[in-house]
Amino acid sequence: MPTIEIEEKVFEIDGNGFLTKPEIWDGEVARLIAKYDGINELTDQHWAVINIIRNNYEEKGMAPMIRQICKGTGLKLRQIYELFPLGPARGACRVAGLPKPDGCV
Amino acid sequence: MTWYSWLAIASLAICLAGCIYHLIRLIKLGKPKDYSRKSGSPGSGIIYSFTGAMNPVNKESAYLNLPTYIAGVIYHMGTFLAIILFFVFFFTTTLNKMITLPLVLFLFLSAIFGTGILFKRVTDKKLKQLSNPDDYISNMLVTGFQAATGIVLLIPDASYPVYMVIASLLLLYLPVGKLKHAIYFFAARYHIGYFYGWRNVWPAAKHSR
Amino acid sequence: MEKTDDIKIKRGLDVLNSHKDSKLISHLNSCVHCGLCAKTCLYYLTTKDERFIPARKVELVSSIYRRYFTFTGRTFPGLVKARELDDKTVEEMVDLLYGACVMCGRCVQHCSIGVDIEYVVRKGREMLAEMGYVPGSLQSTVKAALETGNNMGISYEDFVDTVEWMEEELQDECNDTEARIPLNEHGKNVLYTLNPREPKFFPLSISAMAKVFYAAKESWTLSTNMYDVTNYAYFSSHPGEAKKIAQRMYDEMHKMKAKRLVLGECGHGVRSNRWEASNYIEKEFPFEAITSVELMAEYIRDGRIKPDKERIKDTVTLHDPCNLTRGSGVIKEQRYILKNCVNDLVEMTPHGTDNFCCGGGGGQLAMSEYNDRRLKIAELKIGQIRKTGAVIVATPCHNCIDQLIQINVTYNLNVQIKTLAEIVADSLPV
Repeated sequence: MPTIEIEEKVFEIDGNGFLTKPEIWDGEVARLIAKYDGINELTDQHWAVINIIRNNYEEKGMAPMIRQICKGTGLKLRQIYELFPLGPARGACRVAGLPKPDGCV
Repeated sequence: MTWYSWLAIASLAICLAGCIYHLIRLIKLGKPKDYSRKSGSPGSGIIYSFTGAMNPVNKESAYLNLPTYIAGVIYHMGTFLAIILFFVFFFTTTLNKMITLPLVLFLFLSAIFGTGILFKRVTDKKLKQLSNPDDYISNMLVTGFQAATGIVLLIPDASYPVYMVIASLLLLYLPVGKLKHAIYFFAARYHIGYFYGWRNVWPAAKHSR
Repeated sequence: MEKTDDIKIKRGLDVLNSHKDSKLISHLNSCVHCGLCAKTCLYYLTTKDERFIPARKVELVSSIYRRYFTFTGRTFPGLVKARELDDKTVEEMVDLLYGACVMCGRCVQHCSIGVDIEYVVRKGREMLAEMGYVPGSLQSTVKAALETGNNMGISYEDFVDTVEWMEEELQDECNDTEARIPLNEHGKNVLYTLNPREPKFFPLSISAMAKVFYAAKESWTLSTNMYDVTNYAYFSSHPGEAKKIAQRMYDEMHKMKAKRLVLGECGHGVRSNRWEASNYIEKEFPFEAITSVELMAEYIRDGRIKPDKERIKDTVTLHDPCNLTRGSGVIKEQRYILKNCVNDLVEMTPHGTDNFCCGGGGGQLAMSEYNDRRLKIAELKIGQIRKTGAVIVATPCHNCIDQLIQINVTYNLNVQIKTLAEIVADSLPV
């Protein structure tokens, strides 16, 4: 099982860098993964996105539609792409500690 | 007739039978049935497959590896020449001196390139890993056959029996080893020509490169 | 890895022993091990790892073929390095055929013999799929498509909600409350298809294409039942599963009574629906299947849309999806579109039928198992893009786009990445 080490903390990840044990996720883990992706500070807007993704995952077991993220946060699409340069899946869902969504992402 | 003539004729018969077996199997299995709506011409694709696609200008494996490519081309020309001479020798082994010398020179040159290719196969790490005994045997048989053909042209009487034995070995091995690419090369090129022609990828000249 | 058994081995070998025509034996018997394909392959070029040479992948499959189905291989296996289909072979096959091939077909164009290397790799994958060895992450994408009708498991409600949202965006953009994204309308000229990642995460390409349809006054529709243009079973190479997905699209076309099936910007989706699908289901399509790239080129040629290239002044380069160029012969159309829609188009070297894959092809993007390799082989594409000096990279393939988005960040490339529909929509005066 591959692992990733950020600031001396080690996480088990899949080959794509998504957590293999989403249950170990917490705010600190999110901060560390974001930092690894070059997002040095998680703003309130970042957190609004992360929380919606995380809640949807805990309720339905999958990532929400980008539509729900926009609706729930009141952010524009473009803003979300700017907040997470790797995109909603490889960027935001990964920071939110989800396993990798299926398909072309 | 001498024993080595009988041997060579028998080997030739077996070789032809083997080749015909491969050929009949290919023809029996037939060409592919493609249910998709074609957008190009399989015929033009097949023609391009044997012409433009073989042009070293279009073929990266050729222009990035020119020395090997040239050695390969000459080696194959040497083989075709030696095969033609094999049939000529059934009638005579003494040719006009004017043509003997250039033929001998070409055959020796080609055999040297063949040896060079074999040398590369043994020394180049990636080629060595890719190779099997069949590759070495096939090369040695063909290279030996070319060199022997050259020697027959120089000293026919002394070398002809040995030459005929080498030729027989080559003929017997051809249908079972990698030398059968003499047949399958055409089949493979036909199939990719058909495939790319059907989909309008080939001939490539239609598209800006 | 799960161990092999007699049933699995028989299933694998059956793939090599069932012949519809002479194609398979032609390609399995013709490689001469010249090794000249090495430098055509982006895995070898970026890693210099000899295992990744295309001929080695062909050799894996053909050595098994020799062992069981040729006189020489059965009698003298050592002579031709004929291999048993055992655990070790299977493990190597999974690693090389699934994990180290983007099925871009570049080596095929340049093979000195003419071996269809990509086809042999697909046959090898087919053996593994029949034996049950498809990498988990790839199989779960196929499973999602089979079970939910799209490879991301998007629900009907979520899909409709997103399309309605994009319809509002379209109406704003066109300043026309009559501008629409029609759903489930029968008897239209065009049934349009999407990559599920569009509704799920990147929906702007939907409203962009809707704007193009609006401008061209096209009669078109989306189907909520079957809009997924992908067929991941093409990558896993499981013929039965690929057939089910292909059949579904065929049935939907009949149900919707549309004239043209228009395949969205998805390389393997185009390839699997335009070409492989008819062969999976062994039926000729009674309708036309074309790519949205060809359709947009047609609109421009017929004067149905009038792009203004002054609207896009930035330097643009084009990334050719392998499945569009070498896989489908769609080569000129994307260039024709860009020449009409942007001011400054710079080609990569090489391009067209000689292009390099972005690194995400062959199902690599879906497979987490080989992530590091996928990012490594992208070096070539990064170098190609840098040399063009382009600000925008346009590519008609969502799979390529996702790989490009990731390597754009990984390699600090700082370019914008767009679909062709987005470029065309941007160039259309409102």
